[in-house]
Amino acid sequence: MELSEYFLQLFSDYTLRTITLGTAILGAICGMLGSFAVLRKQSLLGDAISHAALPGIAIAFLITGTKDTNLLLLGALVSGLIGTFWIRGMITKTHLKSDTALGLVLSLFFGFGMLLLTFIQKQPNANQAGLDKYLFGQAATLVESDVILMAIVTGICLIILLLFWKEFKILLFDADYTKTLGFNTKFIDILITFFIVLAIVLGLQTVGVVLMSAMLLAPAAAARQWTNKLSTMIVLAAIFGAFSGVFGTAISASQNNLSTGPVIVLVAGVFVLISFLFSPGRGIIFKQIRVFQNRRDLELQKTLQFMFDIAKTHEDISHPHAIKILNNFQGYTKATLKELEEKNWVAVNGQKWSLTEAGYQAAVNLYTNNQ
Amino acid sequence: MNAQVEIQLIAAVVAIACAIPGVFLVLRKMALLSDAISHSILPGIVIGFFITEDLNSPLLIILAAVTGVITVMLVEAIQKTGLVKEDTAIGLVFPALFSIGVILIAKNANDVHLDVDAVLLGELAFAPFDRLIIDGVDMGPKSLWLMGGILSITLGLLLAFFKELKVSTFDAGLSAALGFSPVVLHYGLMTVSSVTVVGAFEAVGAVLVVALMIAPAATAYLLTSNLKKMLVLSIVFGVFSAIGGYWMAHLLDASIAGSMTTVLGFVFLMVYLFAPNKGLIAVVYRQKQQRTEVSLLTFLIHLNNHKEENERHVKHLNEHINWQKVRSKTVLELAEKNNLIQIDNQIVKLTTKGKEFTDLALEYIISNRDEKIEHMKDDFFLFRG
Repeated sequence: MELSEYFLQLFSDYTLRTITLGTAILGAICGMLGSFAVLRKQSLLGDAISHAALPGIAIAFLITGTKDTNLLLLGALVSGLIGTFWIRGMITKTHLKSDTALGLVLSLFFGFGMLLLTFIQKQPNANQAGLDKYLFGQAATLVESDVILMAIVTGICLIILLLFWKEFKILLFDADYTKTLGFNTKFIDILITFFIVLAIVLGLQTVGVVLMSAMLLAPAAAARQWTNKLSTMIVLAAIFGAFSGVFGTAISASQNNLSTGPVIVLVAGVFVLISFLFSPGRGIIFKQIRVFQNRRDLELQKTLQFMFDIAKTHEDISHPHAIKILNNFQGYTKATLKELEEKNWVAVNGQKWSLTEAGYQAAVNLYTNNQ
Repeated sequence: MNAQVEIQLIAAVVAIACAIPGVFLVLRKMALLSDAISHSILPGIVIGFFITEDLNSPLLIILAAVTGVITVMLVEAIQKTGLVKEDTAIGLVFPALFSIGVILIAKNANDVHLDVDAVLLGELAFAPFDRLIIDGVDMGPKSLWLMGGILSITLGLLLAFFKELKVSTFDAGLSAALGFSPVVLHYGLMTVSSVTVVGAFEAVGAVLVVALMIAPAATAYLLTSNLKKMLVLSIVFGVFSAIGGYWMAHLLDASIAGSMTTVLGFVFLMVYLFAPNKGLIAVVYRQKQQRTEVSLLTFLIHLNNHKEENERHVKHLNEHINWQKVRSKTVLELAEKNNLIQIDNQIVKLTTKGKEFTDLALEYIISNRDEKIEHMKDDFFLFRG
């Protein structure tokens, strides 16, 4: 199937529509909440939690014996939350650092989950097949009820976000100050962590345990480059996330044997790459251009200083001098001379230059006052 | 040797090989890099496998190790741009590389026998079937030779560079000043970690390699702060979990790697809860004790400062120092039991001992000199630092 064909079929084909809508909503909610994770320097929490959710899925299946997505996700949510709070407990109560705590919960929970999954597979119960789809996720298994669930959660999340906007924002940037203002920081903290865990759990079915962290991080990291404003960043991250979802689904649907999760992650990665390179404020390219510009400005000023030093020794500041004497001088190029002329700091007459009154004053400002 | 013994032997060797670099990763706060490496080596493995069609080929290990080092370099390069923090950089790099690996496998799934599940989870039970045969003589399982080789190299490097590793782990600046480059040691450690991860992933899978690296080291770290002891302890925990895990898997008929991790998790949980000084229970008990003692001290100083009776009434103290009822009662009882105060008719009074104690404590608070409270250290957590 060609890409264009995919977009044509999007509106008529029920399955395609459901999956696309699902991944779009997922991308949006992940981008939204991922912004908080990134700004709170909890970027890898998503990785740990998505792994920690696995035993919850297995235990939920062991208890209920059904493969009802909602029940499994509930189990995932519970074990994800246990993992989160254990990480926090380790960091506050022991001298283990956050990276060790994250790695421990990630690998130990996941290993336990694997033990349970292989245990379940040996059970004489035909129902168990397909539990391992949570490892890599399968967007194709999304049905309308899943999408509705995602939409509801996203809606609730939006409402909470708007209700507690002020609190979230202030907690992000100055936790101690928030405390002194009398806000219940613990509650706000738990609330935001809960929603991050919830978003991760929702994504398990679509992109799977292993790649979930990228879903959370990449749109937020991309959005961060374009703005310094929290609200703009969240909106941008949601848009990037949604687009990653849609394009990722489109690309994987139009090719054979392409799992959706990794493609979505790579599309999100492209957004990050573009943002890193081309964002006007922080992007690598513009930063480099600014470095060059500053260097040129500096050289321009060096030329001006040199001219000023010469002009100082003459009674008439506009006494013409040969251009040749600038040749040995590093800051001098034809372009810089021209720029100086455009600024009306020097007047060029044939092979001679002379400092103007304005140029002299500028040089006085630059080089004498501060000495 | 029968297969059972061989599996346990391989498991133990893998555990030791992982535990050693793991200790340094945990101490250097780079534990999560092992997670990143274990995922991002996937494209290296896949490409190597496409070329050689053999999961045990040395080329595969070299390619994967190179990918591991590339991961570390990419993370550092992204971090250096200052656009995102280190953890975000890690979180961006490894899923992208892993995705590339998964897509490579998926696109060539028809003609290649390589399963993502196998890479991610491994299967120790199959290891004895793949044997190294030289001139028709059976030399044992290939993966035992592979991991044994990696372990010997790791041990050799550890012994050769122990001092350098130790200094650069705890004081990178000193290490640079002494003339051994932290950068070389960093990349050396990363290379060893990558090679170990690659060697072990086949047996225990990419995610559980992380458990074998971090968990024994973290467990040992809760018990000691001596580097040598920490290394020995992590090896002991690793081996114990490897063999215990094997038998648990045998019993439950479940994944060996999963069981090993579960035993590791259990051991960690026990140490986390019950470790003598750094365990959760010890810490919580100590914190509670310190809180009571701070309250006691505040209380005594308050008594010392107020001669008027209404300030020293039992009821009044509650509201005055603003403690909850229960806590003020505990403090009162503690003080009375230690003969620091006397309660006459609901009026609290410092005893001579209490006065002496308060003066000493005050002097300590003012001068902050340890010798003032030397003899009090035995009785009070608060002063034990």
